[in-house]
Amino acid sequence: MAHPGRFSWRLDSAASASQFAWGDEDPIAGDDLDSVLVRTTGWIDPAGWEPADLAYMQAETQAALLGWLWSLACPVVNRLPSALWYRPRAAPLSWQGMMRRCGLPTPEILVTSVEGEARAFGARLKREGVNGAVYGPLTSDARYLISDDGDWNGLAALQESTPISLTCPHGEARLACVVGEQVVWEGEPNPEMTDLEPALVRFAEAAGLAFVELALAPTPNGICVIRVEPHANLEHFGEAARQRIAEGIVDLLTAEGDS
Amino acid sequence: MILVCGGLADGVTELVCARLEDCGYPFRLLDLGSYPAGFKVAWHWRGSVPEGWIAGPDWIVDLHELTGVYARFLGQDGRLPPPNIAPASAPAVHHEADTGLMAMLEDLPCPVVNRLGGGMSNNSKTYQALLLRACGLMVPPTLVTNDPAAALQFYEDCGREVIYKSLSGIRSIVRRLEGEQLARLELLRNGPAQFQAFIPGENVRVHTVGDRLFATRVRTEAVDYRYARRDGHVMSMEPATLPRAIEEACLRIARELGLLLTGIDLKETPDGDYYCFEVNPCPGFIFYERQTGQPISTALADLLRRATNPLPKMERRTAMR
Repeated sequence: MAHPGRFSWRLDSAASASQFAWGDEDPIAGDDLDSVLVRTTGWIDPAGWEPADLAYMQAETQAALLGWLWSLACPVVNRLPSALWYRPRAAPLSWQGMMRRCGLPTPEILVTSVEGEARAFGARLKREGVNGAVYGPLTSDARYLISDDGDWNGLAALQESTPISLTCPHGEARLACVVGEQVVWEGEPNPEMTDLEPALVRFAEAAGLAFVELALAPTPNGICVIRVEPHANLEHFGEAARQRIAEGIVDLLTAEGDS
Repeated sequence: MILVCGGLADGVTELVCARLEDCGYPFRLLDLGSYPAGFKVAWHWRGSVPEGWIAGPDWIVDLHELTGVYARFLGQDGRLPPPNIAPASAPAVHHEADTGLMAMLEDLPCPVVNRLGGGMSNNSKTYQALLLRACGLMVPPTLVTNDPAAALQFYEDCGREVIYKSLSGIRSIVRRLEGEQLARLELLRNGPAQFQAFIPGENVRVHTVGDRLFATRVRTEAVDYRYARRDGHVMSMEPATLPRAIEEACLRIARELGLLLTGIDLKETPDGDYYCFEVNPCPGFIFYERQTGQPISTALADLLRRATNPLPKMERRTAMR
């Protein structure tokens, strides 16, 4: 949406018409698009921008792109709801409620600023045969195993400043990609995981994601979804899975009507 | 029990607390000016609903006791740095603490004013415009472009009566497109901007509170009434009555977005048409209540007292052409 691109979109109470051109090429009308695959929320090159102007222009570009994608009649993969458009890296915690409502098991998560609550959580896991709990800041992907006294003391020190988030450790994760109504696994899933396929599709539908990557893993409470990635990454998958995902995306993009 | 999450230095939060007090509705204040300092929390997700408690200086409330939550998050300016934390680390600590709090509020089964999800729509005015249209409200002729020629054509098509303003959630002052700005249109090539046909008439601000609605007419000559007095214009407000269809459309958009409290900006033209500009998910209704005496905060207090609201519906998925 910046030079050499030329974008214009007119909208009123009754109509919506847009066009886009690259350089001196002939413009393409929004109505002429057969489908759109979305892999960005409007990144702009920071080179040459003052920080404040860059932040403003980034916000404007993202806003324009979101609105325009929703104005298109053709399939758009993914046509992200605004809540996801603006929080694509939402903490796993924020998916808990929706996943549970869709029938997907999730690991228990505790958020607390109380040392005793955290230690009780760890003690309960220990009674269940699990040594340690996983601390993960809600605002980053970092994860730390909390297992010995030193770890727990460090966590308690952190709790004096802010609530912390604890969950149970999990085993090796297996990736799944929901593409439309199809679930593509990386490698061979066990039957407990494949049993969750209808719930995975339900979740993708409820979240407004036609194409989404998830990670599932064994936990003390059985198989759980431990991660959701609304911007699914093909590089996370092997060649065979990639091929099936690509075919699924093509099916979505060539489907009739909205997506 | 009602939970208020906000800063007392914020006039709207202060008004909500005062109204709850006045109504005799029990509430607890989670003061975001100092949070997480001074509070203890423990909540966990075993099912789809969080369970646990929040404790303040001399109180503790179980999450299942809550009949309603009012949340108005603060910018960094309104917050005290946590003790024993380097000032540079304070924003990260606040962000971490707020993220946990927001996630908990999002999944509570009681009314929450407002959950974050629907409010995100306000970060894209054009996305909202599509929703507004779908709910039966008229939106002004709008152009989003980075093409100076397209902007100039729109300017001419609208009889040279055009305003420009941000299309994101970043606040901007609405200004007319005139000589000085026309001369700078070449800068548009750097990125898109929003232009709208100037809609003549009177501004009407609507506040929806659950299924109640308060309309306020704003009389001023200023293009952007929020800055009328600063710009030397006279401004007055009075309660207004809207056509039933417009009221229903306003309530519908609030429902669609899952927002229990909204501030909706309308303009009534001399011909009696109503155009809608945006839906504010975190309205500073104190400004209107003080000018008109409309009982917006009382309606909000009543809503928080009742425990009848389900979790918000999902956003629609189909295109909104």
